Amino acid sequence: MAAVQDGPMELDAEKETKPEILSDGTSNLSGNTASGTLSSSPLTAAPAGGAPKMEDQQTLIAVLQFLKRNKLTDSVEILRREAGLGEDQEDSLATDGSGGGKGDGDGGDAHSLLSRVSITSAVAPQNMPVKRADDQPDVSVVLSAYSQQGDPSLYQVYYSGLKNFIESVLDCHRAELSQLFYPLFVHMYLELVYNNHENEAKAFFEKFSGDQECYYQDDLRVLCGLTKKEHLKGNEALLDFRTSRFVLRISRDSYQLLKRHLQERHNNQIWNIIQEHLYIDIFDGMPRSKSQIDSMSGSLAGEARREVNKAKVFYGLLKEPEIEVPLDDEDEEAENEEGKPKKKKTKKDSLGSKSKKQDPNAPQQNRIPLPELKDSDKLDKIMYMKESTKRIRLGPENLPSICFYTFLNAYQGLTAVDFTDDSSLLAGGFADSTVRVWSVTPKKLRKVKSAADLNMIDKESDDVLERIMDEKTASESKILYGHSGPVYGVSFSPDRNYLLSSSEDGTVRLWSLLTFTCLVGYKGHNYPVWDTQFSPFGYYFVSGGHDRVARLWATDHYQPLRIFAGHLADVTCTRFHPNSNYVATGSTDRTVRLWDVLNGNCVRIFTGHKGPVHSLAFSPNGKFLASGSTDGRVLLWDIGHGLMIGELKGHTDTIYALKFSRDGEILASGSMDNTVRLWDSMKAFDEVETDDFTATTGHIHLPDNSQELLLGTYHSKSTPVTHLHFTRRNLLLAAGGYNSQ
Amino acid sequence: MASPKTVPKDAQVMMQILKDMGITEYEPRVINQMLEFTYRYVTTIIEDAKIYSTHAKKSNVDADDVRLAIQCRVDQSFTSPPPRDFLLDIARQKNQTPLPLIKPYTGPRLPPDRYCLTTPNYRLKSLQKKVSSSAGRITVPRLSVGAVSSRPSTPTLGTPSVQTVGTKVGTPVSLTGQRFTVQIPSSQAASVKSATPTTPTVQNVLINPSLIGSKNILITTNMVSQNSSSDSSSLKRKHEDEDDYDAL
Repeated sequence: MAAVQDGPMELDAEKETKPEILSDGTSNLSGNTASGTLSSSPLTAAPAGGAPKMEDQQTLIAVLQFLKRNKLTDSVEILRREAGLGEDQEDSLATDGSGGGKGDGDGGDAHSLLSRVSITSAVAPQNMPVKRADDQPDVSVVLSAYSQQGDPSLYQVYYSGLKNFIESVLDCHRAELSQLFYPLFVHMYLELVYNNHENEAKAFFEKFSGDQECYYQDDLRVLCGLTKKEHLKGNEALLDFRTSRFVLRISRDSYQLLKRHLQERHNNQIWNIIQEHLYIDIFDGMPRSKSQIDSMSGSLAGEARREVNKAKVFYGLLKEPEIEVPLDDEDEEAENEEGKPKKKKTKKDSLGSKSKKQDPNAPQQNRIPLPELKDSDKLDKIMYMKESTKRIRLGPENLPSICFYTFLNAYQGLTAVDFTDDSSLLAGGFADSTVRVWSVTPKKLRKVKSAADLNMIDKESDDVLERIMDEKTASESKILYGHSGPVYGVSFSPDRNYLLSSSEDGTVRLWSLLTFTCLVGYKGHNYPVWDTQFSPFGYYFVSGGHDRVARLWATDHYQPLRIFAGHLADVTCTRFHPNSNYVATGSTDRTVRLWDVLNGNCVRIFTGHKGPVHSLAFSPNGKFLASGSTDGRVLLWDIGHGLMIGELKGHTDTIYALKFSRDGEILASGSMDNTVRLWDSMKAFDEVETDDFTATTGHIHLPDNSQELLLGTYHSKSTPVTHLHFTRRNLLLAAGGYNSQ
Repeated sequence: MASPKTVPKDAQVMMQILKDMGITEYEPRVINQMLEFTYRYVTTIIEDAKIYSTHAKKSNVDADDVRLAIQCRVDQSFTSPPPRDFLLDIARQKNQTPLPLIKPYTGPRLPPDRYCLTTPNYRLKSLQKKVSSSAGRITVPRLSVGAVSSRPSTPTLGTPSVQTVGTKVGTPVSLTGQRFTVQIPSSQAASVKSATPTTPTVQNVLINPSLIGSKNILITTNMVSQNSSSDSSSLKRKHEDEDDYDAL
C-alpha cells in the first residue's frame, strides 16, 4: 500500500512545481494517467477498503509511463524500485490494463494518449488521430477523472457536513468560504452522473441546488437535464469547465481554517475534489466581503488568478503621423516630427502635446506590422482633423443629440449593423443572409463601371475617379448576396473600400465597396461566427465564433495569423484596441479577455459578469474597457491594472451596443429594452484614479453610484438598439430594427 | 374546426420541456418546429437501429443497436467544436510564427487568386456552328489581350451562343503596369449583335476595376483577319479570357 501511495504523491509534487502555464495541461495529465486504469484515480487516496491489486498495478504502470515520457528518469527509477516492478512486467501490464480497461484500444492507445498530453511536444494536428481523439478518448480521458471515489450515498453527507462547517465559521470568513459551494456541488453532481448513480445524482441535485447563488441558475438548469453519462459527451462547454480548474480567491486565514477542518475528517473526499478540480488563489490580507466577492464572481471558471492579470499591457496610443495641411492655417498640424506611419485617433495629442518622447505605456511603432498610409488615407486624415475641430465637447451639461435609424420591415431579422467612421455609409446584416449597404448622406452609392465602359473614358482627365463610377446604377442602397446563413457581424474598413461580414455559415466574407461584389471568403471557423471587426488601421481583422476561439486575419492571407484560444464557451464579441496591438473578446463564459496580437497570449481576464458578454467598447484613450452583457449591467475595467473600476446598473435587458464618445467623456449604451442610456464616464474614471488601488489583491470596493453616473435614458417606441456610433462631431447615431410586438 | 384549446399531448410535452429549460418566451410555431425535429430525429435513429440489428442478424432491435445508431449520427450531424486542449495546441503553434511583414504598394491586399472569389466560375461552351463563307462576312473587332488581368471583374453581358475565339494570351502579370492592346480590324462591318452566331466574335477583355490607378491602357488598331480555324485555339484557351464582347 505504501508503494502505491508514493506514486501518486510524487505526481502531486510534480504537478505543483510545474509552471502555471502548463496548468491547462495538468488536469489532463491527472485524467490521463487514470486512463490506463479501470476506475481508480492515482491522485486520490485509495479508498478505505483497499483496491484490488490489479488496479493498483495498472495505476503504477500508468504513472511510470507518464514519468518516462517526460524524461523524469530519476523518479522512474525510484518509483520502480519502491514498487518492486520489473521493466518487462510494466509493459505487459500496461497493454493488458489499457486493453481490458477500455475495450477499444491496445497499449498503443495509452501511449498515444500520453503523448498527446505531453506538454513539450508540439502535436501537429494531422499526425494524431485527431478525429478520434476529439470524440471518444479525449472525453473518456476527461471524464475518467470522475471515476468512483466514494460511496455515492455519502455525497450528501459530505456536502451537508461542509455546509454546516461553513455556516459555523466567523462571519468574515463565511462569505469567502461560501464560494466553495457552487464548484463543489457541480463536481460532485457530475461524479455521481458519470458513475451512473442516476438516482443519487437527482436526489443530490434536488436537495442542494436551491442553495446556490442566483446567478448560477442558468448553469444549474443545464445541469438538471444531464442525468446520464452519455449526456455529458456532447456538451463541450461543460467538459471544458471540468478540465480547467475553477479559480477561487480566498484569504490565507480562511484557507487555513478550511484546510484544517477538512484534513481532520477521515473522509477527505471534498479535499480530494478541491485538490483536483479547484485552484485556490491565496492572498494575504483581509477577507473579502460578500459584495466584493459577488461583483467579481459569476464566470464559468471562477475568478481570474492574480498572476494572469499582471502582464504589462501597452494601452497607450500610437503616435500621429505628420501631415501638412496646406489649406487652413487654423488647423495647426503635426507636432511630431517623426513621420512615422499609421495612427489616427485622439485629437488631444495633435492639438496639444508637443511630446517627442515615447509614451511609456504605448507600444513601439513597429511592434506589429501595420500598413503605411496611402495618399487617400492622408486625405482622409486631413478631413478627420478638420471635422474634429468642429466637434462638440460633451459633458454632463452638454448631452449629445441622438439620431435613431430604424430599420422597418426587418421582422426581427436585423442581426448586425455598422457605420463607417465618417458616418457616410451604413451596413446591415440580416437573418436572410443578405448584407445591405445604405448611403446615409444624399450622395448615392455608385459602383465602378463595367470593363467595356471603362475603356471609353478619358483616362487623363482630372476627375477620372468620378468618371469610373457608373451613374446609371446609382442607388440609395445596394444588396450583397453571398452568405448562406444569417449575418451576425459587419464591419467597414477604415478606408471605406471594404466591408466584412461574418455569418452562421462559418465564413467571413470580404466585399468590395467599389464594385459591390464579394472578393474573398475566409474559411476557418466551421461554426457560426458571431462577430468580426476590422483593425483601426485596416488590413487586419478579428473574428470570433462558436468554436470558442477568436482568430486574427490579414486580408491577404487565406488562413488566420493568430488564434486566441482560451475561452470556455463561444466568443460573442471581438474588438480591437485603438492601437491595434490588443484584441478584447467577450464570451458566453461570462469573461472578457484581452489578447496580445503580437504573440497571441491572453494578457487580461476580467470576470464579474453574470451573463454572456455581448458588447465591448474601448475608451478612445485606450486605458479603459467597457463591457455589457445579458444581465443588464455595464462593467468598466482598467486595463493597465487589470481591475474592475465601475459598474453601471440601469438596463433591464441585454446590452448589445456600447460606444464611447469621441473624447471619452460619455459612454452610450443601447439595449434590448429599447433604451439608450448615457453615462458619465469621465466621472467614473476620475473617481477611480484617486482611490488607493490595492494592486496586490485587486480588491476594489465599488461605490454604488450608478444613479449619479446616469445622465439620461432615451426610449424608442419599440425598437431594440443594435448599434451605436458617435459621428466625428459627437452626434450620436443609433440603429435598430423595429419590432412591432 | 378543432377547438384551439385542445393541444395534442406531444405538444403539451414539448411545452413542458421548454418551460423546464427556462425558455418562457417563444413564438407558437417553435413547438411545431421542435416536434418536427424530434419526430425526424427519432425516426432516423430507429431506422438506423433496425438496419444495424438486421446486420447483426438479430430478430429484434435492442438497446445496443439504438445506442450504436445514436453514436453514429452524433458524429455525423451534431458535430461539436474541437476540445479545448486541441485548440490550445494549434493556437500555440499558430502563434509562434511572427506576424508577416506587409509589402508596400500592392494595390488591394487580397490572398492568391485561388482563394478569392474573383475569378469567373463558369466557362462558355464553344458552338460547332461554322461560318458560311459568304463574301459579306462580317467581321467584328477583336480584342486581344497582351497581358491578361489576373483578376477579371464581373463580365459584361454576352450571350453564350456566340463563339468565343482565343488569341494569343499572355501570362498573368501583376496588376500594376498592365497594358491592354485592342485590335480593331479595319474592315469594321455593321455592328454585330450577339444574335448572329455566324461569325466568330471577339473575346472580351475583362478589366479589373482595381487597375484604375494605372492609366496605361493603350489602344492600337491592327488588321486582323478572322477565320474559323481559330476555333481550335479557342478550346485551348484559359478560362480567364472569356466571354463575348459585343462590338460597336
